[in-house]
Amino acid sequence: MGEYVIEMLNITKEFPGIKANDNVTLQLKKGEVHALLGENGAGKSTLMSVLFGLYQAEQGVIKKDGVEVKIKNPNDANALHIGMVHQHFKLVEVFSVLENIILGVEPGKAGIVQKAAARKKVLELSEKYGLQVDPDAKVENISVGMQQRVEILKMLYRDNEILIFDEPTAVLTPQEIDELMEIMRNFTKEGKSILFITHKLNEIMAVADRCTVLRKGKCIGTVNIADTTKEELSRMMVGRDVEFAVEKKSAQPGDTVLKVRDMVVPSKVHANNAVKGVSLDVHAGEIVCVAGIEGNGQTEFVYGLTGLEKITGGSVELCGRDITHAAIRERSKLGMSHIPEDRHKHGLVLDYTLAENMVLQRYWQPEFQKHGFIKKDAVQKYAEKLIAEYDVRSGQGPVTIARSMSGGNQQKAIVAREIDMDPNLLVAVQPTRGMDVGAIENIHKQIVAERDKGKAVLLISLELDEVMNLSDRILVMYEGEIVGELDPKKTTIQELGLYMAGAKRKAKEAAANE
Amino acid sequence: MNKKKSILENQAVNSFLASLISIAAGLVFGVVLLLILKPEAAMGGVKAMLGAGFSKLDNFAEVLYQAAPLMLCGLSVGFAFKTGLFNIGASGQYTMGAFFALFCALQLQLPWWVCLIASMIGGAFWGLFPGLFKALFNVNEVITSIMFNWIGMYLVNLCFANLPKTLASHNDRTANLTEANPSAVIPKAGLDKLFHSNYMSISIFIAIGIAVLMYVVLQKTTFGYELKACGMNRSASQYAGINAKRNIVLSMVISGALAGIGGGLYFLAGAGQYVLVKALLTRGFDGIPVALLANSHPLGTILSSFFISYLSVGGNAMQPNFSTETINIIIAVIIYLAAFSLLMKNMLAGVARRKKEKQKEAGK
Amino acid sequence: MKKLMALVLALTMGLSLVACGGKPASEPASAPADASEASEASEPAGQPAAGGTDIAFVTDVGNIDDNSFNQFTYEGVTKFCKDNNLNANYFRPAEDTDEARLKAMSQAIEDGAKTVVMAGFLFAPTLRQAQEKWPDVQFLALDVASFDMMDKDADGKPTSDPIIKDNTALITYKEEQSGYLAGYAAVADGYKDLGFLGGMAVPAVVRFGQGFVQGADAAAKDLGIDDVNIKYWYSGSFGPTDEIKAKMDGWYAGGTEAVFVCGGGIYISAVDAATANDGKIIGVDVDQSSFSEQVITSATKGLAESVQLALTDCMNNGWKWSDTYKAKETTLGAAENSVSLPMATSQFTTFDEAKYNELYKGLADGTIAVDNNSAADAQFATEKVKVSYEA
Repeated sequence: MGEYVIEMLNITKEFPGIKANDNVTLQLKKGEVHALLGENGAGKSTLMSVLFGLYQAEQGVIKKDGVEVKIKNPNDANALHIGMVHQHFKLVEVFSVLENIILGVEPGKAGIVQKAAARKKVLELSEKYGLQVDPDAKVENISVGMQQRVEILKMLYRDNEILIFDEPTAVLTPQEIDELMEIMRNFTKEGKSILFITHKLNEIMAVADRCTVLRKGKCIGTVNIADTTKEELSRMMVGRDVEFAVEKKSAQPGDTVLKVRDMVVPSKVHANNAVKGVSLDVHAGEIVCVAGIEGNGQTEFVYGLTGLEKITGGSVELCGRDITHAAIRERSKLGMSHIPEDRHKHGLVLDYTLAENMVLQRYWQPEFQKHGFIKKDAVQKYAEKLIAEYDVRSGQGPVTIARSMSGGNQQKAIVAREIDMDPNLLVAVQPTRGMDVGAIENIHKQIVAERDKGKAVLLISLELDEVMNLSDRILVMYEGEIVGELDPKKTTIQELGLYMAGAKRKAKEAAANE
Repeated sequence: MNKKKSILENQAVNSFLASLISIAAGLVFGVVLLLILKPEAAMGGVKAMLGAGFSKLDNFAEVLYQAAPLMLCGLSVGFAFKTGLFNIGASGQYTMGAFFALFCALQLQLPWWVCLIASMIGGAFWGLFPGLFKALFNVNEVITSIMFNWIGMYLVNLCFANLPKTLASHNDRTANLTEANPSAVIPKAGLDKLFHSNYMSISIFIAIGIAVLMYVVLQKTTFGYELKACGMNRSASQYAGINAKRNIVLSMVISGALAGIGGGLYFLAGAGQYVLVKALLTRGFDGIPVALLANSHPLGTILSSFFISYLSVGGNAMQPNFSTETINIIIAVIIYLAAFSLLMKNMLAGVARRKKEKQKEAGK
Repeated sequence: MKKLMALVLALTMGLSLVACGGKPASEPASAPADASEASEASEPAGQPAAGGTDIAFVTDVGNIDDNSFNQFTYEGVTKFCKDNNLNANYFRPAEDTDEARLKAMSQAIEDGAKTVVMAGFLFAPTLRQAQEKWPDVQFLALDVASFDMMDKDADGKPTSDPIIKDNTALITYKEEQSGYLAGYAAVADGYKDLGFLGGMAVPAVVRFGQGFVQGADAAAKDLGIDDVNIKYWYSGSFGPTDEIKAKMDGWYAGGTEAVFVCGGGIYISAVDAATANDGKIIGVDVDQSSFSEQVITSATKGLAESVQLALTDCMNNGWKWSDTYKAKETTLGAAENSVSLPMATSQFTTFDEAKYNELYKGLADGTIAVDNNSAADAQFATEKVKVSYEA
């Protein structure tokens, strides 16, 4: 069996109420990129945590180079040259890049860190694998993509041979994703083996050699990428056929629901305005998408639109009512609902139960309270209804603490809550972030259904596929301005990309749709 | 077998059990300390500490007497904590409540219930400032409330010093309430006869009533829902259209009002006289361990304040074999260990899990 | 954030518990050690410390190691008990209330105490209840005056005769004589700029202060000098404060050579200021020379001695107060050898033992009369010394 560097055989790991891994087997060959594919909550992260020593499996064995090993903690894993880049980076923000890389394995004499030697090794490594970073920059000052490189360098610095990447692309821009793929290929050339956790099929097709699919904790199978297709992989993952293209009729735009004129929102990070005079209309029965590369003012635009941030110029009208300075509650009463970009910051009170979160926008309505007392039964029933309708999975149903739910299911809960408010305008910011294809398909269907019911939908997304598939009209935002309006039927991803990168822009008047 | 598993997995039961185990651990540690300090008297000391509170009616009355203001301070800290604020200013609010109550009682000669309401207003007034600073300028409430402890104490001393009518003659303390205005003393409703103790009055029932009220407000009302949401996630509550600033101020005001009532209950009980020393009253701070022990739960606060009060009465009964300093150390150790209930809770959850696993294995 | 919160919480909790304790646990063993020795002597072997209490001392607010009233009175109690093979114990009330003091007494009596000793005027209301509640127990209260045992109206005017039962003995001191000795000695020793710092204008403190003024005046007359000044101030508190220290700094910096510091913990502030400015202190109540090098002498009351004297009387009378003490306030002064300056530890250069004995004799036999007006606004009319009363 010399073929495999790591074998995880018949692993079973249980948590209260759930079997996270049920008799899972995973075998990693030397020098391959091995993808681990599965829906949210399928047990991918658990399996990797077992390998990295964060959890102990109840059953099953782990073998390194054919020899059975016990991995009780991350130190054991390190000793076996297993390294991991976590989804949420574990870096000391106020330390420099170099300091972070050598943290825990500082070369030193008599308690004094010998940085010169460490710097030399780090520079050599970054040269070799094309991981350019400034070793003296403070981690808090570098981009997310750079921080990920620091995490990767940490593994290389420790001479790790088996590299685990836990959903590494979730936080990256498309360009950074391409670079990461290249880096991974370099690693395999050097004989390192990679375990790549993801639920993005395109990435698997692009970089992986083999793929193991998990579903609900069970191992569905391992396939060679060369012999399979996206469709097959998604079927294995979800357990049914998945449609990638959203089926929808052409839009029937009605009255203007949202009218934004010359909106100006100041930036929190620099002295300039983040949103510089944006004007747009959204009509009933259409999905308008604001596309753009992250950080071009979309976040601030949504804050200004939903009232989370005060706008310093312009006006907002919802269903003919001026809501420029309206309180958030008032906007919500007028029929604006909002799937927020950051579900942990805005979308959920993580320490509340699922049921309590389900009524976060509605607890004050007569349906759920009487004389200031919350009707617990009504809340419970309502939560049960939404959970069933939107397939929100959790350990204990309505009484589950939101924090303990998987990210995808948290997102489902928010989408359920916001859509069920029966809004006039649905503001959906990256509604499928961090979700697997099955769930994405579901949410897309629901958004289209809302549109078909005559609701106005404003979608803000970074995912080009989503933008192209879902929207009836695309507005491209670049550096705080709308630089173009495109018809998804008549445009290509390439053209869209040019607009997003600021290489092309239409006259401003055209964008205003006036 | 299954039943036991489900009991251990129940959150509330788990918390309660965890507190009990922690307390037991603290007591064991206390006994060991006693054995080290004075082995021949240790057993007597333990007996006194654990038994005194229930041994005689008047001792029990003292437990209740001390528990009432302590409970309010615990509720004050716990309420703020539930809403995401750390009110370390309970001492100042307690002092301000005491001043309002005694001013009404001694200067204005008003009846007790007016004085008690005044104490609530006084505490609320003193909670308002840290709340406003937090809401409007985002100044950390820990810092402001610490400063307002001192401002409050000096202000109250200054006021009393310039209100000779409120002071006992030739003394640096306020007049004895039972002599100066008997109508301001919280009614004893015959309980003093029943318990053979001057300590006994209806204040403990007032305190329990307020604790239950706070429980209802926090758990059952939309107001409590909003307050807690603000405490757990300010951004999300803002997103949900909750006026977070208003809620912060309200939280601090309510928290202050609770501490203020604590001050009122203590000084209107008749025994206590406010002494014009330039030191913070410690009962406000004692609210912190009370709240911690109760995990900030209002109903738990009833029990934890009883417990701490019981310990201090019991500790006092260890005299003369142990000095008050030793007793204070032992009580502190017990409370400190008892506050490890959170740790204990996790351990209990672990036990429950392992049990379950074993059962599974046995079943296979 | 959450972790920070937990840390802060843990810290404050620690702090608050320290605060509960009040004072650091210094020497709980020292004083009671005598007591347990005594008990071992009187009890059969194998049952140490279980013998209960014969004579109990109840502290007022502070603890037994306060270097003042509580400590010296209790020393008298323990010494008496040791000499007579009895068991002494002390009890500290749970809080600063009359109710808690009564409770501490009841605890002492339940522990077997037949005689309860206490010190400080704070005990008056408690004592009035206790003497009726426990008619078989003998109470000895130092520094509680018969005035304190009267009913009073809202303005503090007495409305009844003192209510003192047969099982109660009050002992007060002629503080004015003690103050007189200190004032005389200071001026006779060459100090010209003096100060008097009182806690609050309670009778005992007023008598100390006014005696001090009279003594200084008498010395100035005897020496024929008229450039002696006394600054005179009641701080309004018995505890140390920054305000007092600032005031004392001002006095010492302004030329005041020695201050008579009279009342509880305020000496801490005064000693700080004196040390910083190399000024002198005159102590009060007990010999305070051990606190600081700056203490030149102390106007003392014979606390321990008078306790032993009174307890001996009680014992010899079958554990009942004899007519000497029964149901009244006994005021002890030079005649009873109960006020003094500790000449052995005093730092005098010209004022000598012979002069001291001469003065003492005069006070004892009444040839030197010291006015004992104890009204809060008492201001003795001096002939030579200029006294400036400060608010």
